[in-house]
Amino acid sequence: MTKHSSVSLKPAQPVSWQRWVWVALAVVLLCYLPIVLTDRAIFGVRLSNMQLLNIGMSQVNLMLIAMLGALSLNYLTGCAGLISIGHAAFYATGAMTAAITGTQWGWPFPLVLAAAGLAGALVGTLAGLPSLRVRGLYFVLSTLAVHYVVVYVFLEYQFKFFDVVGVPYNAASIGPIALNTPIRWYFFLLPLVALVYWGLSNTLKSREGRVMMAMRDHELATTSVGVDVRILRLKAFAFSSSIAAMAGALYAYFMSNATSEAFGINFAIQFIAMIIIGGMGSLGGALVGAALWLLLPSIISGFATQAGDATGIVRLLLVEHKAQLVQMIFGVLIIVLLIFAPGGIAGIGHKLRHRWSAGKDAS
Amino acid sequence: MLAQVLFSGLALGSIYGLVALGFAVVFKATEVFNFAQGMFVVCGAYLAITGISLLNLPFPLAMLSMVLAAALLGVLIHMFLIQPVAGQPMLVVIMLTIALSIVLRAAIEIIFGSQGRTLNTPLPSGVFKIGELRISQLHLTAALVSWGCMAAFGAFFRFTSVGLLMRATADSHEAAVVSGVNVNMMNRLAWAIGVVLAAVGGLFLGQLQIASTELETIGLLALPAVVIGGMQSIPGAIVGGLLVGVIEQLAASYISPKSSDIVIYALLLLILMVRPWGLFGQRELGRV
Repeated sequence: MTKHSSVSLKPAQPVSWQRWVWVALAVVLLCYLPIVLTDRAIFGVRLSNMQLLNIGMSQVNLMLIAMLGALSLNYLTGCAGLISIGHAAFYATGAMTAAITGTQWGWPFPLVLAAAGLAGALVGTLAGLPSLRVRGLYFVLSTLAVHYVVVYVFLEYQFKFFDVVGVPYNAASIGPIALNTPIRWYFFLLPLVALVYWGLSNTLKSREGRVMMAMRDHELATTSVGVDVRILRLKAFAFSSSIAAMAGALYAYFMSNATSEAFGINFAIQFIAMIIIGGMGSLGGALVGAALWLLLPSIISGFATQAGDATGIVRLLLVEHKAQLVQMIFGVLIIVLLIFAPGGIAGIGHKLRHRWSAGKDAS
Repeated sequence: MLAQVLFSGLALGSIYGLVALGFAVVFKATEVFNFAQGMFVVCGAYLAITGISLLNLPFPLAMLSMVLAAALLGVLIHMFLIQPVAGQPMLVVIMLTIALSIVLRAAIEIIFGSQGRTLNTPLPSGVFKIGELRISQLHLTAALVSWGCMAAFGAFFRFTSVGLLMRATADSHEAAVVSGVNVNMMNRLAWAIGVVLAAVGGLFLGQLQIASTELETIGLLALPAVVIGGMQSIPGAIVGGLLVGVIEQLAASYISPKSSDIVIYALLLLILMVRPWGLFGQRELGRV
């Protein structure tokens, strides 16, 4: 599919000390970020809302949850080459498992997450079954059909046991620590995203991961060297949907309420949009895409509050049709990227770095 | 009761068949699986509103301008969006049409507001009775016009030389290029036809319900219709549309109104598992 996959296929090399410095710096920055966003100040210097781009902690937490979904979809679509427009269905699976085990049976939160992951793997395997028989476009359609089936099951479940308001969820807590503030959620979600990222990128460097990318690039050649691509596909599907289901359970707990309408087809499309914007087949790109998708709306809202007195077209766009403006920007961004830079932001970064290092060698 | 349900199912199914036919023409010509077809239906409804309510054009002129605008939209989309990504992987093309529908929806909601609007046309809207059967004239008109359009395009593909060239292009791009057919022109024509058919569907759907961007979901029922009928088959699209309409109405009145979508998509899943090439399609043979 995509030729530029930014996953490095070089054998593992001893990590240089510079790299450790960068990692340590990133960890420090990420740990300091929530303090900045909560106090609205850096080292005591007050920042205006616009200087912080109108970003709050709950946006950041939602972004981290979306990153899990984008990572798992990029693993499935970008790396295994299986296009799915049913990713919202696995979120719904996770949310429903969380409702049954958490809300109805009262299981503790970590156990609920594990159950959601298991249920996601199970439903993912079932949803991947059509891949044994159909491929390409037909498989994409089967994921669409699976999406409608799962969301309908969620709808029936919601109306049978709860009502139109949606499924309520208990407050999340890990052992004695209640996840009741945005900062606690942040420090729970951040390591989780890092863990999933690390796990996925290591999987991609393993034999299994390399075979999977080979399958994406040339299925027949992969089969001819003795790989059972059918099992590989099911595995990729189960793995990816298990992560997505966990993200769904997290999402439900974070929002403390979930309805079947929340997991519509647009919810699934947003993940495809994230990985297209970020870059197909690049795990880092998935993070960038999710960040952009979740943070841009609140940045635009920030501009909207600034433009309170403006008139004419600016007011029409910024104040009255903020949601539509955001959609328009994303839609145009996706179209432009697809036509001019199919590798997404990761692809552009890759190209720039390539050019830069080429220039450095020449001088 | 059953006759009533079957009547409205067939009438709605004719509209779906029309939209699905537009979809199939585009797919056959350019192999683009067009997720924006549902949005083209919405565009049709709003183009009709623009002509009739905003510009106060007389009805025939409004219809003519709607058809012309829709055709222009199709040509522009093919020129500026589809042609640059020709030959790209499937996800790129699919996502492009999804992004297009996002942009169109946003544009429509910015221009016309996110509230639905009523679409009033001078088409007959009364009800007459045959025995127990209540027949809505609007449903009947919609079905008749849909069949008229389908017949017209069937004849166009079958009997005119341009139709022949279009079929030849769809059959084999290379052969058509070698024989001196302007392939891009043919593909643009196919896109124009696809959008116009969706827009005519939108005219009726917008009038049977309220014209809003929510019509997209109804327009997207053309997708299962096309797959059930067989993606490469023009009659298949029409039969698929009729089937989807009838099944939708049956499910809505005998199971529950919420269940109509799920029944159709479950059928889609079943068809994909058992007969992926659809009822009328030709089995694709894989070659190494």
